[in-house]
Amino acid sequence: MPLLPVLLSNFQKRTLSPPTETLVETTDEALMTQVQADNLDQLVPLFERYHQPLFSFLCRLTGDREVSQDLAQNVFYRVLKYRASYHAGQPFRAWIYQLARNVHTDHWQQNRRPTADVDQIEHTASYGRSALAHAAATDRDAALQEALALLPPDQREILVLHRFQGFDYAEIGELLGCTAGAARVKAHRALEALRKIYFS
Amino acid sequence: MHTSFTSHDLPASCAALEDLLPAYAEGELAPAEVAQVEAHLATCAACQEKVAQYQTLAQDLLGLPLACPTPEMRTDFMAMLHREKAALTTENVAPIANAEPRVEHEAKVILMWSRPATRQWLQVAASILLVAVGVVLGLVLHPGSEQLAANQTRKPSLATQLATAATQPATASDRIQLVSNAPTTNQQNDATVLVLVNTLNTDPNPNVRLAACEALYRLRKDPRVAPALVHSLPLQTDPNVQITLIELLVALRTPEAVPQLERLAQRRDALPAVRQQAEQGIGLLI
Repeated sequence: MPLLPVLLSNFQKRTLSPPTETLVETTDEALMTQVQADNLDQLVPLFERYHQPLFSFLCRLTGDREVSQDLAQNVFYRVLKYRASYHAGQPFRAWIYQLARNVHTDHWQQNRRPTADVDQIEHTASYGRSALAHAAATDRDAALQEALALLPPDQREILVLHRFQGFDYAEIGELLGCTAGAARVKAHRALEALRKIYFS
Repeated sequence: MHTSFTSHDLPASCAALEDLLPAYAEGELAPAEVAQVEAHLATCAACQEKVAQYQTLAQDLLGLPLACPTPEMRTDFMAMLHREKAALTTENVAPIANAEPRVEHEAKVILMWSRPATRQWLQVAASILLVAVGVVLGLVLHPGSEQLAANQTRKPSLATQLATAATQPATASDRIQLVSNAPTTNQQNDATVLVLVNTLNTDPNPNVRLAACEALYRLRKDPRVAPALVHSLPLQTDPNVQITLIELLVALRTPEAVPQLERLAQRRDALPAVRQQAEQGIGLLI
């Protein structure tokens, strides 16, 4: 009878795998559920995990470090303020990026003038490098930042999500409210638009 | 169809494949489509150039430097969190406070007879006596109180306060507040830097150590700060403190930190994120 070995292996799996439980405790979703239950200190590890990627996301969208830092701060404020709206088990990353997109849209609507201190980003982001040795690389980076800044905001956003934040087309589709296939087409169009600007 | 990117002057064979080229360059096409594109590329220099441009673009995008937020972001976040936590506790206390008047309303004591006049006079006399005793005591203790006032005007330095807090059982949030209120400028011989360094190296609470990091960053003009941060790196075991220290050392452009960062990048007990941060730090400092 094959039943006995199956039962045995199931028993072993159950008894030999307690460490996975401790790992599950520290997932983003588990931490956010704690935050939701007013254990606000659990937002600290989430801040540690997400403040840099969110800052970088917003920095690529706005092209302004100072503004991006304020916006990223605002994202964490909204996480606290709207913690009741988080559903247990909902992917936290998608949720917090949606908040970040909303914060950015609000900012965009309030300040419609372009805020492209691209040079500022380059100078501050590449500190510590030997300016002369990397002059060519910095010029190239500056040209690419400028090309990104010239893209329409929705195309810039999709490229940033895909290229820098590691979102796949299915995740982007969820954020934008379209299918993965449609997200892929949009990403390719954005890449084509960027190519035209960059190599023009 | 995707007319927006179809140029008028493109030959029909190029226009038919135009939308597939980005996906081809990204390696996202199915084998049948790959064969179709490659058959066309073999005969079309213009499309070959386009594919080469997509590939260069992808590489250049990968090479774009990553901007880092300043340490103030963490300080601001912690302050916001403290405010929200404080608001939460007052919200929880509020219902009890609201409940009080209702209880009073339910059981109110109403005197059925008027108070005797003598008792009222006694109350007035007792008040006068209390004031008089206060005045006498005040006069007797005058020299001492003058000294006290002098001490108050000369506020104890942060160094003294922190040193006291270290010997007394002050709560972590008290210590964070003390450290966070550290001045942004100091004199050459002020002990504030030394006390903050001591806090950074010895305080049992990682949040206090983080606050000490940030307070030290504000005092970065002091020549003792950067070496102290370098020396503190191997002493820290909390990943948040380790990462913050690395960020600060990079922000302060301290090449002396490179050997310590190299050691940290090799430490097996450090978290992968910390080791990665150390390696990034090395990349930015060398």
